[in-house]
Amino acid sequence: MSVLVEMNDIDKAFPGVRALHKARFDLRAGEVHALMGENGAGKSTLMKILSGIYARDGGTIRLQGQPVDITSPARAQALGIGMIHQELSLMPDLTAAQNIYIGREPRKGLGVLLDETRLNAQAAEIFASLHLALDPRTPVERLTIARQQMVEIAKALSHRSRVLIMDEPTAALNAAEVNELFAIIARLKAEGVGIIYISHKMDELKRIADRVTVMRDGATVDTVPAATTSIDTIIAMMVGRTLAREQPGAAPAAAADVVLQVSGLRRGSAIRDVSFTLRRGEILGFAGLMGAGRTEVARAIFGADPVERGEIVLNGRRLTIRRPQDAVRAGIGYLSEDRKQFGLATGMDVRNNVALASLRRFAGIGGLLKESAMRDAALRYIGQLAIRTPSDRQEARLLSGGNQQKVVIAKWLLRDCQVLIFDEPTRGIDVGAKSEIYRLLVDLAREGRAIIMISSELPEILHLSHRIAVMCEGRLTGILPGGASQVEIMRLATQRDANVARDATAANHTSGATA
Amino acid sequence: MSVATSKPSLLPGMRLSGARHRLLAFTSLVALIVIFSLTAPDFLSTANVIAILQSTSVNGVLAIAATLVIITGGIDLSVGTLMTFCAVIAGVVLTYWGLPLGAGVLAAIAAGAVVGLTSGTCVAKLKIPPFIATLGMMLVLKGLALVISGTRPIYFNDTPDFAEIAQGSLIGMVLPDVPIPNGVLILFLVALVASFILQRTILGRFTFALGSNEEAVRLSGVNTDRWKMAVYALAGGICGIAGLLIASRLNSAQPALGQGYELDAIAAVVIGGTSLSGGRGTIIGTLIGALIMSVLAFGLRLLSVPQEWQFVVTGAIIILAVYIDILRRGRS
Amino acid sequence: MLTRRITLGGLGAVTLAGPGAMLARAQDKAYIALISKGFQHQFWQAVKAGADKAAAELGARVTFEGPDSESQVDRQIDMLAAALAKKPAAIGFAALDSQAAIPLLRKAQQAKIPVIAFDSGVDSDIPVATAATNNLAAAALAADKMADLIGGQGKVALLVHDQTSRTGIERRDGFTKRIKSAHAKITIVATEYGGGDHLKSTEITKAILQAHPDLKGMFGANEGSAIGVINGVKELNRKLVVVGYDSGAQQKQAIREGRMAGAITQNPIGIGYKTVDAALKAIKGQPVEKVIDTGFYYYDKTNIDQPEIKAVLYD
Repeated sequence: MSVLVEMNDIDKAFPGVRALHKARFDLRAGEVHALMGENGAGKSTLMKILSGIYARDGGTIRLQGQPVDITSPARAQALGIGMIHQELSLMPDLTAAQNIYIGREPRKGLGVLLDETRLNAQAAEIFASLHLALDPRTPVERLTIARQQMVEIAKALSHRSRVLIMDEPTAALNAAEVNELFAIIARLKAEGVGIIYISHKMDELKRIADRVTVMRDGATVDTVPAATTSIDTIIAMMVGRTLAREQPGAAPAAAADVVLQVSGLRRGSAIRDVSFTLRRGEILGFAGLMGAGRTEVARAIFGADPVERGEIVLNGRRLTIRRPQDAVRAGIGYLSEDRKQFGLATGMDVRNNVALASLRRFAGIGGLLKESAMRDAALRYIGQLAIRTPSDRQEARLLSGGNQQKVVIAKWLLRDCQVLIFDEPTRGIDVGAKSEIYRLLVDLAREGRAIIMISSELPEILHLSHRIAVMCEGRLTGILPGGASQVEIMRLATQRDANVARDATAANHTSGATA
Repeated sequence: MSVATSKPSLLPGMRLSGARHRLLAFTSLVALIVIFSLTAPDFLSTANVIAILQSTSVNGVLAIAATLVIITGGIDLSVGTLMTFCAVIAGVVLTYWGLPLGAGVLAAIAAGAVVGLTSGTCVAKLKIPPFIATLGMMLVLKGLALVISGTRPIYFNDTPDFAEIAQGSLIGMVLPDVPIPNGVLILFLVALVASFILQRTILGRFTFALGSNEEAVRLSGVNTDRWKMAVYALAGGICGIAGLLIASRLNSAQPALGQGYELDAIAAVVIGGTSLSGGRGTIIGTLIGALIMSVLAFGLRLLSVPQEWQFVVTGAIIILAVYIDILRRGRS
Repeated sequence: MLTRRITLGGLGAVTLAGPGAMLARAQDKAYIALISKGFQHQFWQAVKAGADKAAAELGARVTFEGPDSESQVDRQIDMLAAALAKKPAAIGFAALDSQAAIPLLRKAQQAKIPVIAFDSGVDSDIPVATAATNNLAAAALAADKMADLIGGQGKVALLVHDQTSRTGIERRDGFTKRIKSAHAKITIVATEYGGGDHLKSTEITKAILQAHPDLKGMFGANEGSAIGVINGVKELNRKLVVVGYDSGAQQKQAIREGRMAGAITQNPIGIGYKTVDAALKAIKGQPVEKVIDTGFYYYDKTNIDQPEIKAVLYD
């Protein structure tokens, strides 16, 4: 196989941080080369250099043997290097086809008018090659995250890329969609495209990667063949040590107090009559496919979105939750799946983020803040949760994903929440930090807090939950005991409502009763 | 960074980047002063320096109000006409009703706070974008100021002490050679208090937090609406103080004045390094921004630069100042 | 703040020590600072032209400044403050609000800098002279001309630049009082204010015309208002008698083309000239008339090209 890309001795420094130090990486035509490493290991920086977003400070890049200078993303595209970012960069108001050909729209009428027909035809062609049933005229904002991802891939392919960089492409995809993506990757591979695949999911690597390069602390640790290297070896290379597996601990006694009781929660087609209980010291996993309504339930309980109907009882007391502040006052905390958008004030420092939900407690006469008390609290949690930050004054955006997550956890611990709802707690978090988050969840449950954990990663759910609630299309299709099999979960997760008519009648009946 | 934790920081929340920007703005200010003092011989005369400071007082106070709102990620276009409205209210209370000075001062500040609260309610509760809400408020207040005053200036001849608010000089009583007017003292007092609120109190912390990520704050169980309204009300009250300053300086409430002043205020805020997208900003920066604008205006006048060209130079300097800021951010 | 003041002081010491800076002022000609009520309008540019002419002929150095709009009282005060800092030999001042300017004018008085009021003047006894148009009389002349042109009866409307400035009030009152006292069959159906802004005045004119289909004439009380009236009449394609005020290229052309019957012109060049003239006399300690009437004329198609009119019209 011919070598497509060779990167040697790449250096890159940011103010105060040496992001890369003599990093190297190579890619052959027609291979999937996985790039692994904990967050902050330098893999994103390396890829951003390859795709022209950052300029390198030192080292050489060769493309098919020729030294190249990749000065801008446009240059990278011209050289046939395409990157699919983890955070999708689509324009939500434009259609799928318009997004794919943005800036390169086919023209007609002496180049003055846009040729929408040809635009859509070309996009449809790419979708067809991906075996994707998607109307190119659909506005992107109406697509699911998974579909948007497919549009991103189509966009990269439209550039006839020889090198395709995928940054956590499956983070938001369900199993079926992942299979679809892998089929596409196999096809591209067969055509000689070199694919750099960044992921934290070990099982995926085993399925599709040919070689694995592991990075740590801005340097390349080693490149190994994927087939003959064990996952444990790769993890050990990543973290520089071996990890112990976390056990969920004994299930709480059935007699443990019911802390939270949710009954008849309902909102349109997103949440259809969801009822469950949560006990003291319990981790209740919420499994399901993307869009099954798990996040919606969490946000509804938390008061972030309105509900039509439903009763929430906390410690035997009925709650009226209209806004998040009602939930927080009652002792319910919510850790959003999207930390940057909903969890952290990223421009503020760790100290203030930890104190954010409890700021009033630190306000004295005239609203004067007791900074030293805030610092003490922040430092206490930095120690307790092992948050890696130079100081409590570090801006939250500069922390790695895992440490950001810990800051959000600290925020709710400081607020002393009894019920904690974790929505995808390990999304975008590297493997070392993941196990720390798991240990934290288990410890919190042992302390007697009640935890709801929403996750799309089945191993995580199976591993940590005392009970597993499964949702499909807004309904709670069943609650399984902790040791349940993947098969059982998938069965419930795909249990579409066979009796839609009956359900509708029931709904009418209920509404008639309350009206 | 370890220094920041071990040493009790003087201004909590102050960040290195902010400090560096203030340094930059301060350097520009000093550079302008040096250039003008070398080219315009009267530039550093006591009379001119005092005139510059006095001219800064109104725009500076308005810019401080605008800074607070801008840090929340909003914008307040009504500061100029709100100032006028508050001046007219003071005129009504003092001249039309003949109440004592204190009542007029309180009424102006209270009127500002109430109007600010109204704008804040439109933004927080009715979810009207700040640009639109305060644009509407700007026009409403412009009209109300004309209606209430009967479209005539209201003079404060019956309240002789009123002129002392901005024009008198407490410093001049102690140091007769530097009769810095009280208006300037009030500007610095307002700046000090606003800076304290912003850096040290819960209201200030939420001001930054709202601008940094409002949804995250809401999902932390904070009543974001209430805090936002409080910020707008505080900004409104500060506009009330600006209204008193300008009315005292002119010894009259001029109902037709005010529109366009919000742009000068916003310019001062931006030159001072406050981000229009919210979450970042300082009062001291705004103060320096306002001073830069006055120094520029007076310096160019002293040099007898034709008025047409004064606009060109001022505009170019605003763009340059913000561009330098962008360059600096890009590098870090 | 303290540090900043020290910085200023320090810089001051440096500058004073530097000899080069001081030499720049060594000029023999008397320096006169003129602070007007505006500067962008043709009218103020004509005043400036007159002042420049006097400066050249009589030997003086003048600067001319004014705020962007006539509502910016505080900006004008700042300009006056800056002018005082330049230690001029005399100041020419057209106050937007006399009372607001009094503290600074007192300072001028204390510094023995003579103040000449011009245009609308200054409501105070500080100025040694006032060079201005008699607006009341000028507007009354406009009313007489309007009455003649519409045949002594019918409805007319006024479009004034603003309701707070002295020129606005005087022109409005001069016109209105004359109509009421001398032309009883004429009714004034509307008096509106357009801020002297061309576009706003156009819109207001159109509104007035639509409200009064039988309107016979309109009076625009300054250049911007008059042009607004002409535009509004043209856009609605109506025929009526328009009397304007001041001049400017557009107004002059409208008169030549018959779209405007005629207009009052002040003598802006004369205002500027006589202000500087009076200032120089005051500097030299010569006697100055307390009120200097700078004059006004009515001009129309017939006399627009006569030399005495031509001299006071500006483009």
